[in-house]
Amino acid sequence: MAKVDKSTYDTPSYRPLKVYAFDPSHGRSLGNYMTVNVRYEGVEPGPVGEYLEVIDYDASNDCYYEPVDLNDAAVMLGGGLEPSGSDPRFHQQMVYAVASETIRRFEFALGRKIKWGFRADTKGKRRLRIFPHGMQEANAYYDRDLRALVFGYFPASELDAGANLPGQTVFTCLSHDIIVHETTHALIDGQRIYFLESTGPDSLAFHEAFADIVALFQHFSHKEALLEMIQRTGGLIYRLHVDPEVNPGREGALAQFELSTSNPLVQLARQFGEALGTRAALRSALGSQPNSKDLDKLYEPHDRGAILVAAVFDAFFSIYIRRTRDLMRIARAAGALINPGDIHPDLANRLAGEAAKTAEHFSNICIRALDYCPPVDILFGDFLRALVTADYDLVPADPYGYRAALIEAFRLRGIRPENVTSYSEGALRWCAPEDLKGMPAPPCEGLEFDILRPSTSEQSEKNAKTLINYANKNRDILGLSLNEPIQAHSFHPVHRVGPDGRLKVEVVAELVQQRATPFDPTESGSPRFFFRGGSTLVIDQEPGKEGDVRYAIQKRLGQDDMQNERLIRQRKYQEHIHSGMAQTTYMDEHPLEHLSKSRRARSMTFNLIHRGY
Amino acid sequence: MVTAKKTVSKKAAKKIVVSSLHGDINADTIRVRMYRIGFGDCFLISLPVMKRSGSEDSHYHVLIDCGVHFSGDINTMDKVIGNIAAITGGKIAALIATHSHQDHISGFGRFSEKFSQFDIDEVWLPWCENPADPLALKLQRKHAALAEMLDEHFNAQRTINAPAANTPQRNAAVAAVVNLSGNQKALLLLRSGFDVGAEVRYLGAGEVLRDPAAIEGLTVRVLGPPRDQQFLSKMNPPKDQRYLRLGAGGGVNMDNALRPFPAKWITDTGVENYRGPVLTAAEKEELKEVLADTDLDNLAFALDQVKNNTSLVTLFVFRGKYLLFPGDAQYGNWKWWLDQEEAEDILPRISFLKVAHHGSHNATPKDALERMGEGQLAAMVSTQSVPWQSIPRVPLMRRLSEKATNGVVRSDWLAIDDAPAPLAHTEPPMPKKLPANFRKGAFWYDYLLKLK
Ligand SMILES: [Zn+2]
Ligand SMILES: [Zn+2]
Repeated sequence: MAKVDKSTYDTPSYRPLKVYAFDPSHGRSLGNYMTVNVRYEGVEPGPVGEYLEVIDYDASNDCYYEPVDLNDAAVMLGGGLEPSGSDPRFHQQMVYAVASETIRRFEFALGRKIKWGFRADTKGKRRLRIFPHGMQEANAYYDRDLRALVFGYFPASELDAGANLPGQTVFTCLSHDIIVHETTHALIDGQRIYFLESTGPDSLAFHEAFADIVALFQHFSHKEALLEMIQRTGGLIYRLHVDPEVNPGREGALAQFELSTSNPLVQLARQFGEALGTRAALRSALGSQPNSKDLDKLYEPHDRGAILVAAVFDAFFSIYIRRTRDLMRIARAAGALINPGDIHPDLANRLAGEAAKTAEHFSNICIRALDYCPPVDILFGDFLRALVTADYDLVPADPYGYRAALIEAFRLRGIRPENVTSYSEGALRWCAPEDLKGMPAPPCEGLEFDILRPSTSEQSEKNAKTLINYANKNRDILGLSLNEPIQAHSFHPVHRVGPDGRLKVEVVAELVQQRATPFDPTESGSPRFFFRGGSTLVIDQEPGKEGDVRYAIQKRLGQDDMQNERLIRQRKYQEHIHSGMAQTTYMDEHPLEHLSKSRRARSMTFNLIHRGY
Repeated sequence: MVTAKKTVSKKAAKKIVVSSLHGDINADTIRVRMYRIGFGDCFLISLPVMKRSGSEDSHYHVLIDCGVHFSGDINTMDKVIGNIAAITGGKIAALIATHSHQDHISGFGRFSEKFSQFDIDEVWLPWCENPADPLALKLQRKHAALAEMLDEHFNAQRTINAPAANTPQRNAAVAAVVNLSGNQKALLLLRSGFDVGAEVRYLGAGEVLRDPAAIEGLTVRVLGPPRDQQFLSKMNPPKDQRYLRLGAGGGVNMDNALRPFPAKWITDTGVENYRGPVLTAAEKEELKEVLADTDLDNLAFALDQVKNNTSLVTLFVFRGKYLLFPGDAQYGNWKWWLDQEEAEDILPRISFLKVAHHGSHNATPKDALERMGEGQLAAMVSTQSVPWQSIPRVPLMRRLSEKATNGVVRSDWLAIDDAPAPLAHTEPPMPKKLPANFRKGAFWYDYLLKLK
């Protein structure tokens, strides 16, 4: 009898794996056990796959824990190991599954394969290492130098254990939200390596906020968790006395009116804040009345980041209301009771479905906007402009008013983009070079990309040369300084399919310049840091418009003088940052020098920020 | 107990008025005396009593801190307290303990009998030391527990000669933990008003005291420590790490050490059927480097900063002159009041500054200093480069000497037997002649602030 050729089986498209939707403290409650359909790939025990390498080495105890073999029949037949706090192999499975899902969402939204921001390992592989039990510490962080996510474990506090039993071991790697948050830090770092530099109050806050936004929406796109919450709270999206037609034009105001603590979306958002540990700021910002003064007061990255998260959440919430208004109206017209525990399952199901869908949209919009961010020194206002531009490019029509909702929400939270005349969509979209300089940039010709395949290294080299040549010839018009060399940091084709089925192809290129600049111009012999500037170019590749520079998103290097507001702001912020650091008091060297040369300066910030020092 | 609003009339009866024993100050002069006490603070402020016809010149006295760090002691405290007794005639209107660090309060414990002989009207402490405030109590307990654990851990590591125990960073961290220890007796006495019936007040940012301790014409604005929620959350260094502890038999135990899984899950990567990923020795080291030891040093620094930020910051406003005494306030404490609107108004008017935290880097916000004084600033720095070489911070001293056009003095310029001299490169250079209105004593400097 002929042997069956194994290759006659189709490769499965996904691998189902069980995880907690929240964390073990929620027990078996509905919606806490969920299955993630991880995009299929061959994996080694660990698991070790294409992007991720889970290494269960515990540095505090100097030992390894047994690695999970996801290919073991017993594991596969069960759809992965059952959730368990006491089996390290489940922990490995969960970090692998949740991190993989986060990567998949990024790739889907960005329209290309993601890259990591760190160097390759000794075997030439570029994989993000994950240590699910890296150390005993109430902390979890991404560390570029270690090329890793490190998750800690710790005894639940005797005093305020929250939902945990005092003395019980808490595993940060079992918190769904923390895994997404940390993975997102690594993913942002892969797209914009200079965003880890604390160039201003917004930069690290942006990193934190973005990681929270992605985690929040990933959370919200799990329909089961939403369903459970909607049923428990009665789906009180509307207060009952509100006229459903109230203020149809003022969505921001309407959304504000609908915020109530018993609202399931707000509740879930707050629960999310809880999962991330001592994050009172996020908890109180989500679903709260916006205060446009907060930005002037809050500088700690999490506190400040919470403002951005809350703005995006407000917009999400407005859209959700808009998308479900008809449902509620129908339900009420039919005399349905909308009370806690009493909501009709069909209605609950539809509401959860709408919330999940809206969450996915928002997640995609935010991730896509990364490509439209400047290469360095991001401000919250830049992010708003990136959101508006990226979404406009893909979905010009915007029937549900996503962009208007985002703009309004940012405005209410006091986020003001620099150098724009108004909060209108037109004013907020990034400009083409001719709008800034009065003359068009010549097309950037000769870039070669294969639509279906990743670029070969020859292609990449050639494209880099083409870009640099082009940038060198057009420095001023592209917002680049005339003296410093230009580095092409990343450039990639982006393919996206709009809702109208149109395929859009663009090239996004990050051009960066740097100049050694004294920390303190008034101090002779002051140590120096690299002040960076540059432009993100979005170059059209559609036939007929090939090479047109649609946007040049600029952060000019400028001179070291009083006109250079960006440099002044950065200096002031650096001073502020290290003034708040306890360690610098007793350090002999110049604290700024320490900050700039420390091997771990960048990642240290996460390490310490997440720890709350 | 806490009485922020106290009427003058009640106090007027037991007004403390003391004739000045020094002829060089009169009814139109405030004198600030900075003692060289080692690494620590001890300031005596003498404010003139409003002159009435026929009366002699006399002054009220306020003592701010009296403490020295164990490793920076230069054995002058005995003499310092003797001098205070002589100058004040044993009568102190207000005694302020800015925060419970050794280098600010050790004297109150060590020389408790002497202080018990003083006639003290009021004792002021930051609200964080109030035993009746549950929040304060919680913070104190937490900080004490952390300090104790750190102390044990550093001790144990020193005993087993761990590499981490011999770094400059560790030495700095150990000195920071030492500063937190042995303050109980002093605190007890301060809280009890030295058992001489002194009224004890616990103060926080935002309070305004008019004619406090019956000092006529004085207004004290309390600028720190804040009671603000945000600020408080920063007073919470975490403590989930593992610690070493010396056992009874001299062995070292791991405290708080968790083994997250039973032994059956621990695997040996050398065995044949192990197929998971393995780290090289170098990679393991890299990972370990990120972990506990350096973090415990940082925890010690964090704790030190937290304590400094409990400093009671007082602004004395007396006949139009502004004198700022920030204790060891570091950035977080300063930031709170700098964010208030009144800061704009106050900063340019300050004519005397006690430089915070011995001139360390994080204790004088640059933009605050820039806005101070408007050409009329004098400053005093109680400092010494032992036990921390990084103190005082050179660029800060340099800028201070430019800003403080009415003069700056450093306590460690005073030559005292066996006491460390300033480091060679320290700024500002010691002048041949003291600036106008500064006087040098045997182990102190005076600054005379003329009111007319
Ligand atoms: Zn001190
Ligand atoms: Zn102190």
